[in-house]
Amino acid sequence: MMMRPRLASVCAGRARAAAIGASLFLEFALATSNTRAFPVNGDQTALPVGTELNEDALDRPREIFRSEATGGGKSYLVNLGDLAFSSSTILGGVARRAGISCNTCHVNGASNPQLYVPGMSTRHGNFDTTGALFNPKADDGVLDPIRTPSLRGARVLAPYGNDGRKASLRDFVHNVIVNEFAGPEPSAAILDAMVAYIEDINFLPNPSLGPGGRLVAERTSEVERRGEALFFKPFPHNREFSCAGCHTPSGAFVDHQQHDVGSGGLFKTPTLLNADFNAPYFHDGRFDTYGQVVAYFDKAFDIGLSAQDQRDLVAYLNAVGDGERPYEREGAAANIKEVNDFVSVLDIAIPAHDREVIGLAVETVGAELRETAEAFPERKDASVLGGRQERGLARVALKELVLTLRRIDLAAAAGRFDDAAVEYRNFRYLMVSAVPTILMKAEPWSLFNPSVHDAHYAALQQTFQTAKRASH
Amino acid sequence: MRFSFGGSAISMAMGVRCLCSVRRFVIIGLILVGARADRAHAIAFDDAVERYRARIVEDIGQALAGARRLRDCLTSNDLDGAKKAWIAARGGWERSEVFTSGLVPELDEKIDAWPKATTGFHAIEAKLFGAARTDVASETDALISDLADLDAKIRDMPLPPQDLLNGAARLAYEVGESKSDGGESRFSGTSLDDMRNNVTGIKQAYHTIFAAALAARDPALAESVQSQIEALNALLDSPSLNAVDSDKLRKTSEEFVVALASAAPKINLQKPVLEDLSK
Repeated sequence: MMMRPRLASVCAGRARAAAIGASLFLEFALATSNTRAFPVNGDQTALPVGTELNEDALDRPREIFRSEATGGGKSYLVNLGDLAFSSSTILGGVARRAGISCNTCHVNGASNPQLYVPGMSTRHGNFDTTGALFNPKADDGVLDPIRTPSLRGARVLAPYGNDGRKASLRDFVHNVIVNEFAGPEPSAAILDAMVAYIEDINFLPNPSLGPGGRLVAERTSEVERRGEALFFKPFPHNREFSCAGCHTPSGAFVDHQQHDVGSGGLFKTPTLLNADFNAPYFHDGRFDTYGQVVAYFDKAFDIGLSAQDQRDLVAYLNAVGDGERPYEREGAAANIKEVNDFVSVLDIAIPAHDREVIGLAVETVGAELRETAEAFPERKDASVLGGRQERGLARVALKELVLTLRRIDLAAAAGRFDDAAVEYRNFRYLMVSAVPTILMKAEPWSLFNPSVHDAHYAALQQTFQTAKRASH
Repeated sequence: MRFSFGGSAISMAMGVRCLCSVRRFVIIGLILVGARADRAHAIAFDDAVERYRARIVEDIGQALAGARRLRDCLTSNDLDGAKKAWIAARGGWERSEVFTSGLVPELDEKIDAWPKATTGFHAIEAKLFGAARTDVASETDALISDLADLDAKIRDMPLPPQDLLNGAARLAYEVGESKSDGGESRFSGTSLDDMRNNVTGIKQAYHTIFAAALAARDPALAESVQSQIEALNALLDSPSLNAVDSDKLRKTSEEFVVALASAAPKINLQKPVLEDLSK
């Protein structure tokens, strides 16, 4: 759970970013002025002023796992990988100070269309992975942000990277950590676990699609089926090409190849599965809608689509890109489940005397619990009325869990693994007994309640506005 | 009503019970009652508490004097002077947070309100530092009045040692919170000073009231608490908020709170409760 907005030391201003950004700024400011993402302010924040991480969002992408879908459960490796994926310690440096983890951009293994980092993004949903902010050694001197892809189904989507430069997911993850974020060299065990986690993330089911990725007639409309026919139809002037030629319906709508479609180089074919939730589109996120994408291809390949053809194709893409229950509501229950999954790695790590994993669990779960506590506003937050005692108890309970984790860490560091095991049993006991009841009772007065959430952020925004008005 | 933390945590849990089911009473008890005080050896903290009172009278005095100077600077339209006075006032206040959140919650809510900062330090800070505006006379008058109220109260109000231990532990836990959003005083850029003053406040409460008693009963634990306070100080001896090793700070703050919880029963107190649960 990430409720807290984070922001900003003044970015080490990149002149080119300013120049390029200026022309793009107005366009995107207009396009995104209604976002809920929250403004940041101050001059000693860990990320550039104006950064939006959208961590206060109440609807989060739903994440489903292959292991669970097949009747089993997430393995130790998958839980450890998920834990590492949510750990800012793994990325190190600036990310660590800012509390940024893989999960910040790939929320629940999907994407984050609202992410915006001044100087590193040209619009919401893209980010320059070769800029100076996280690793000056990787700075290529040009503002070339790319969109954050969803990792749903990544196990069948090789090669990796928007240009498909890495055949191996493990190599790709390693490159992100060590080169894009200047993080410490991850251990082989952690890297393997992160790969196991990513490979376990499933696409959301889409009942409109049947065998071979074809539309199921009884579940789809005539417009959508007309779009499907157009999808397979060869381009009139390039008869070896069709949409389906690269977005192979029987193969997760990819061909595992890179193509130049006139967008500025060779980029790999992105999947269309669950793509309704993956906007913006193209490698740099230049398009917001399927309509814009279809219009682009129509023009670039002179396909000669009528307005109706374009509408049919968009309807088809919407049908293909759908997924069941794409979002889930942030709340106490979701947080409790996540903490239980993360902390379960201690079932194995404590008896195995694995200090690395114990340390990672204590730091990462502790940070999550501290953030969850912030969702239950303290009493001097006058934007929240009522439930003071319930909120206070929720905060006490969560702090007690943080301290119990710390005791586990202290015991393990001193080689007292039996004591660590006792503290871990206490933690699990609190998580099944007291904590769910206390958090549920306080939830109506927490930031998980939309009206409380809105009142709290409106108050914060008001204070920021007061602080800003005369500075411009 | 306020529950007395000076007694046992059980009595507080029973107070909570008025609102809740029996089941909830049981589970709250599990969380709150972790340690049993050693009742065979009562400790008289009275003299130590009075010495501590003298320190906080001084700190609140500094906060009040700063606020009054701030008011004068507003009258003469001296923005820089006003900012300096705000920072000076803030220092005294932050050292006092060991007792303000638990013992004078209603004043704490007015003086340190956030994020709906219509009164108190942050309302003034947003305009003064964020917007370079000096039209904060009414907010400053209210701050002076609240601080004067506090100044009068602390001279003879009861200062139960349990509440002061709770306050020190709470504040130490808070020092370990992430400040990646710029921290508590983000418009003035003085969040790091806030944290340093918090630790100074914790140190003066611990040294004045609890250190000698703990050293007499568990010298090794007393030494470890002492070294954790020094470690907190060292971690905050940083050129900027962004240069603070936030992971280590969080770890040390939690280790300190864990150590205080172990220390509590040795000095005849209950394990600290990390929130003010009064209504």
